[in-house]
Order: sequence, then structure tokens, then C-alpha cells
Amino acid sequence: MAQLFTPGADAIYRLALMTGVACLVGLPVLAAGIVRSNYVTGVGIAPAQPVPFSHKHHSGELGIDCRYCHTTVDKVASAGIPPTHTCMTCHSQIWTGSDMLKPVRDSYAQDKPLEWVRLNKLPQYVYYNHSVHVTKGIGCSTCHGEVTAMQMTYRANAFEMQFCLDCHRAPEKYVRTPDEVWNMTWKPPADQATLGPKLVAEYHIRGGSRLTECGICHR
Amino acid sequence: MSGALAGGPLIRPEETLQGIGGAVTAIPLTHPRNRRWWMAFAGAVALLGVFAFTLGTLLYAGPGVWANNNAVVWALDIASYDWWIGVASGSLLVSAVLLLLGAEWRGAVNRIAETLALLATASAGLYPIIHLGRPWFFFWNLPYPNTYDLWPQFRSPLLWDAIDIVAFLVICVSLWFIGMLPDLATLRDRAFVEAMRQIDVKAPTRRLALLRAQVYGIVASGWRGSAAHWQIWVQAYRTVALLGVLLVVSVQTGASVMLAGSLMPGWHSTLLPVTFLVNAVYSGVGITAAIVVLIRVVYGLDSLVTARHLDVLGRLLLGLGCASAYCYAAEYFDTFLNGDPEARAVLVRRLTGDHALVSWTAILGLVLPAQLLWSARARTTPLAIAAVGLLVAAGAYADHVTVLVVTLTQDFLPSSRLPYGPDPWGIATFAGSLGLFLTLLLLFLRYLPAVSIIESRRLALARAPGTEAAAREAASRATLRPEENPGPAPLWGVSATFASHADLAAALQAVSGISPPDHVHLDGHGPVPMPRTLRALGLEGRSILPYALAGALIGGAGFYGMCVYATAYDYVFLIGGRPRLSWPSFVVPSISFAMMTGCIAIHLALLVLNRLPRLNHPAFNIPGFLRASDDRFFLSAEARSDRFDAARFERRLTGLPVEAGRPLEIRRIPR
Repeated sequence: MAQLFTPGADAIYRLALMTGVACLVGLPVLAAGIVRSNYVTGVGIAPAQPVPFSHKHHSGELGIDCRYCHTTVDKVASAGIPPTHTCMTCHSQIWTGSDMLKPVRDSYAQDKPLEWVRLNKLPQYVYYNHSVHVTKGIGCSTCHGEVTAMQMTYRANAFEMQFCLDCHRAPEKYVRTPDEVWNMTWKPPADQATLGPKLVAEYHIRGGSRLTECGICHR
Repeated sequence: MSGALAGGPLIRPEETLQGIGGAVTAIPLTHPRNRRWWMAFAGAVALLGVFAFTLGTLLYAGPGVWANNNAVVWALDIASYDWWIGVASGSLLVSAVLLLLGAEWRGAVNRIAETLALLATASAGLYPIIHLGRPWFFFWNLPYPNTYDLWPQFRSPLLWDAIDIVAFLVICVSLWFIGMLPDLATLRDRAFVEAMRQIDVKAPTRRLALLRAQVYGIVASGWRGSAAHWQIWVQAYRTVALLGVLLVVSVQTGASVMLAGSLMPGWHSTLLPVTFLVNAVYSGVGITAAIVVLIRVVYGLDSLVTARHLDVLGRLLLGLGCASAYCYAAEYFDTFLNGDPEARAVLVRRLTGDHALVSWTAILGLVLPAQLLWSARARTTPLAIAAVGLLVAAGAYADHVTVLVVTLTQDFLPSSRLPYGPDPWGIATFAGSLGLFLTLLLLFLRYLPAVSIIESRRLALARAPGTEAAAREAASRATLRPEENPGPAPLWGVSATFASHADLAAALQAVSGISPPDHVHLDGHGPVPMPRTLRALGLEGRSILPYALAGALIGGAGFYGMCVYATAYDYVFLIGGRPRLSWPSFVVPSISFAMMTGCIAIHLALLVLNRLPRLNHPAFNIPGFLRASDDRFFLSAEARSDRFDAARFERRLTGLPVEAGRPLEIRRIPR
């Protein structure tokens, strides 16, 4: 009696079966990897801006305070993007002929704002308030990274929900004393384990269950 | 069980193993009634088109097309889901219970019931997904590592439902596939015979015929009907059926507890889980009966689906009809006797309110038609059985609509009491899901064996004397012809052909002591399970149960552990004041998950213990081996070392008395 299949058919069939199983496992893993990759989240990617503004130069080397430009960071929800006038407080006096700054002067002359490429975006269904974080001891660098070291600015963290929850579940790991909030190179001090809970109590942060309620961010 | 039944024999005495295989495989291989099939298929595909169109509209416009801008937010969606999963549960339960009880007449019914269970689950599974609004995010229901750092809420019956439906689908596919595996091999062999005939006469369709045989061969996974295969198969089939029964109970009580978990009136009767289960099984049997009658009429399978089978289905419908009537009566009696005012109001609104027509359809459809079946004549009239089955199914749908819609239209806020009327898109969607069901059903009927060949053969061997007689007669006509010249190819082993299971068992017993197992590997092959050969083969006591049990326990414990870890440690979330460790709510999904992993373990064991899939095997070189899936039994002695003495083997076999194991034919098989 003849065989319906050649001996090689078995190898092909088993290979196909194993490939199917491998795909079943591998494709979701691949998809999960792509979703988390910098390619999708944009972490570490510095897009071209209308003016190649350097946070490293202005804030790191010259020592300009964050709040000089982002004036409302400790007052309202939005930190604020500086108007051209803020740039011109200095650049009407120095580097007035620089080609690099021509878009700034044009913007000032034509009264048209510079259109910066936004880096840190949150979905519309997330309510986020800068002032409450900054005034309760969460420093800029916790979310935005070491901005004073960024020549061109890039996104330091993917603002996925797990990033927010990491801190909301255990604020004592990240909370700082008020004078450290603006420190862009802050590392948790050796006594964070004892200092953290004390600061949380002082700031009246109701951590844990309260901070992880859905309505805290999704209003 | 069948002793007290009236209405003629379960199988005609002149049926033979070969005749059964021929009658059933003729449908997928020669496509009788082709014209009617294409007409029906065109209609089903048209309905499927309606489904595609309604789903497209739904995706484009959102679930608001269902006229659900009122308190009846589910519209017909969940009623349709409940109905489909009810039909699926009922069909699965019928098949599984008949299998577990060992009802030997089940062959005519169980394949169709299993198929209906599978197809109804496919239709049911779509409903929860399409009513999500953003169906492409359906996987948010499942626990997977996500960037939100969230877990699904394991305390919610909605999550139970997601796990239930996945588990249900796996069990349905399993039961259906395992049950069909030997039949697929029969189909493969018959398709192969046909393909070789076409190749011999150089027919223009010969390549297609060979391809068809190969497709069946791939699906049959190299099933050879070996005694070892059969041993594991019988256990696997029964064990999956057992898991299916447990899952049905879990799914249907889960569905009713989901309603009871709300505050809405009318969903809190303690009888509700039982009512759900009874009506689910009832509708499943109704649809099964209608389809069985349809297939019997269209394909003329009167010889396999006899009047006795119709009678049994009729009795089942009658019994379930009485149970359903009892559930209705008990619900009304109990609620009016000691229910709260809201619950009483719901019952009154069901009978007299805006949806009274639907409620009365439910009551009349579920309770009255079955009463017709007290008459023995009605029970053996195919049309009556089919009509009652369809009326019951319609009644069950109306019942699901009643239970959901009447309660939802009037909740505790008078401001939200907006009317919910007939909703064309919802009805069109349901009609479309029927189209999906019918399309798949027609494809199944065209390409796969609609009646279980193996179960009918077992019944024939047990009940029809013609089977054994035909085998004996064939045996007396055959001449013993030992093959003296094995040719230049190296020897794989020796084969012997027998007409019956008893002869094979006797021969195996006789030769089992000749050579030690490291010299020769003995096996038997045949078209039915061969329990009497197992002792001689040294396979006694081999069991699949430890694998099933380990799979179910590991899966169930793992899922339960995940629920506990997520809810009590990783994702502590205060919800409705429930305790951190709300352990009872994790039981239902864990059981469903355990059934699923147990079923997967059984599948793996079935394949691995039998060394399958194996498409090419030296046993297929045995001349006439294709009849191992038809009416012949084969002994194979595979040489494991050079010291295997083939001649001594052959002498021993030829020396056996004719009535106790003398083979019809002995062959040496090249590798």
C-alpha cells in the first residue's frame, strides 16, 4: 500500500506546528516589545525645533532657574511655555545678530509665537497638575530627567500609566525636601527610607490607596 | 437506558462496519444533494453578508445604532449572547452526558451536538466583543503584562465571562476534534482510495483528489487506529466530556450570578442558576433535534438516525419542557409568595407590560410545544420533533430578551424610564450571527462526517449481528497467503490481517511471548477501540487521567494564585468595600481556567503518548492497511533488532486454529 505522505512530510508538518506555537507565543511578545520601544514612546529622541534651544547651556551652564521661563509650574496645572518676550529679555542685549536666533527675532517682530515641537504629552483623559507635584516635593527631574544635561531636549520617560503609578503607589521613595525640588541631579539620599515617610506626612500626601484611586487622574 | 424505549431498533441488523463508513463518508466525498446544498449555502452566505454589514455599521457608528440610548444599554446583544451560549451549553451537555453515561445510541446525535456547540460558541463569542464599543481593545479584559501596570478586576463576573468563553471555546474545539479524529482517518483513507483510483484512470481531477486526501490526512494527524491510540483516545474523549460538563455548570451559573450580582429586581431568584441551566440545555437539545432531523431528511441517513433516536430526542425535549415549566411556575410562585414588591412588579410587567408579547412567546414556546411529545406518534414524526425543537429555541431567545429587557427598562430612577422598542439593527445583527452559524454548519456538513462513524460502528458491533457475520464470511472466503519473498528492501516487520477484534486479540495473545519487547514491538490496528488486545500488548493500566488532573490542578491553582497575588498584593484596590482577599470571587474563573488547561494537557498527552502526529509511518506500507479504518484488523510486529525471527512469527500465526486467531493474510513489510 502506498503512503499518502512522503517521509519528509512529517518533518515539515512538525516544523509547521512548532512554528505555529512559536508564533502564538512570539508575536505577542514582539508586539509588546514594539509598544514599549523608544521608537513608539519617543524616549531619548530629540526632534528638530524652530530654534535649537539648549537646556544644557541656559539652565545647566548659565544657571537660569526653571521658573524663569516655566513661570507657572508651581502655581497652576500647566508649567507654561515661555513667550518670545522671555527670550528677548536677554537676546535683545546679547547675540543680537546671531543667525541662529533669527526665528526668535522674527517671532518678536511679527508678534507670532514660536511653534515648539511638544515632547511631553499626556492623553486628554489624564488630569495632571504641575503645581501640586512641585509644591509637594516632587522634583522636575523625577519625570523630565536631567534636563540641564540635554543639549537638545528629548523625552526622558515614557509617560505610561505604570510610570505614574510607580510613584503614586509609593510617593515616599521619590519625595524631596522643598529646596531639592529644582535640583536636576538629585539622587535619593542615604536616609530616604526614614526621610521619605516623614516628608510625606509633612506634605500631607495621602499615599497608597488614595493616590491610586482612578479619579485622582481620570476625572 | 435504551431498554425501555419504543420505536424499533437503534440500528438495522444488516449494517456492517464498511457500510456505515460508506454511508457517512459519501457525504463529504461525493457531495450528494449538491444543488440543494449550494442553494442553502447561498442563503447562509447572504445572511453572513448581513452580519458583515451590520458589524461594519456598528463599528462605524458605535453601539448607539442598537436604539439603546436608554436604560436597556445591552439592547439585544447580551440576550443574543446568552441564547447562543445557552445553545452551546445545551448541545455540549447533551453530547458529554450521553458519552459519560455510555449511551450506545449516541452516535447519531453526538457529532451534530458537538458541532452545534462549537459553532454556537463561535457566534456567542463575538457578541461580548462587538458590544465593547472599541472591540479592537477586547484583550483589555484579559490579564496580560501591560504598560498601565493594571490587572483586570478578578472580582468582576465580567472577567469570569471572558475566561469562561475562552475556556468554553477550547473545550468545544477539543471535544469536537478528538471525537472526530478516527472518523477523519476513515475519511482520509477513503479519499486516498478514490485518489488512487483517479490516478490509475488518469482522471483530470486526480491532483485535486490527492490534495483532498492529504488535507484530511493532515487534519487526522496520522491516526493509524492502533490499539494504543484507541486506548488513549477513549480516555481522552471521556475526560474532555467530563471537563465540558463541569464547565457548562460553571458558565451558566456564572451568567446568572452576573445578573444576581446587580441590584436590579427580577434577577435574584435562587432558582435562577437552575433555570438558566435547564433552559440552556433545553434550547440546545431543541436545536440539535431540529438539525438532526434536517440532516436525516436531506442526506437520507435513516439507517443511522433511526426512529428510535427521534424518540429519544423527543423524550429528552419533553422532560426538559416539564423542567422548564416547573422553573417558570416556581419563579412566579416564589416571587408572589415572598418576593419583594419590585420583583413582583417585574413579573407583572413581563406579562402585561410593553414587552408582554415577547414574554408570552417565551412561556408558550418553552412550555407548550413539548407537551405534544407525550404522544408516541409525534415523537417518531421527524417534522414534529424539528418543529418543537425550533419553537423551543425561539422561546428560549424570547426568554432571554424578557429576563434582560423587562428588568432594565424600569430601574430605580424614574428619569431613566425611556422606552425600548424593536431595534432593527439588533435584529439584523442576530440574523447575521445566524448566518455565520449556518455558513459554518453547511461547510461542516459538506466536508466532514456529520454522523459519528466510530460510535455507529461500536453500536453496530454491539447490536447488529450482521457485522460479525459479514466479517466471518469474508474470513472464510479468504485464503492464507504467507509472503515468502520480502524483496531487497530491509525488513520493517511482519503484518497479519484479521476479520475481527476477537481474532486479533487471540493472535496477539499467542505471539506476545515469542520475542522479548526489545526485539519486537507488537501493535494492533483496527476501526474500533480494541480493549481485548491491551493485555497482550502490555498496555493495560495506561491512563491519561494523571495528565488531565495535573493540567487542571496546575492551571486552576496558577490562575487562583494569580488572582490572589494581583488582588491582594500587587494591585490593591478598594472596590465596593470588598476585602483585600475576596477569595470566593476567584473560584469561578479558576475552575473555568482549570478545565481549559486540563483539556490542553489531555490534547498534549493524546499526541505525545501516541507519538502523533506521524503522517508517514511504515505501518501504512502494509497491503490493504487502508481498511484498518474500515472493517479489517491488523497485527503488526515491528522488528527492533536483528535477532527478530520473522519466520518463527509467521509459523506461529499460521499454526493458529481458524476460529481462534488464524490471520487472513500474513505479509512481510519493507521499511
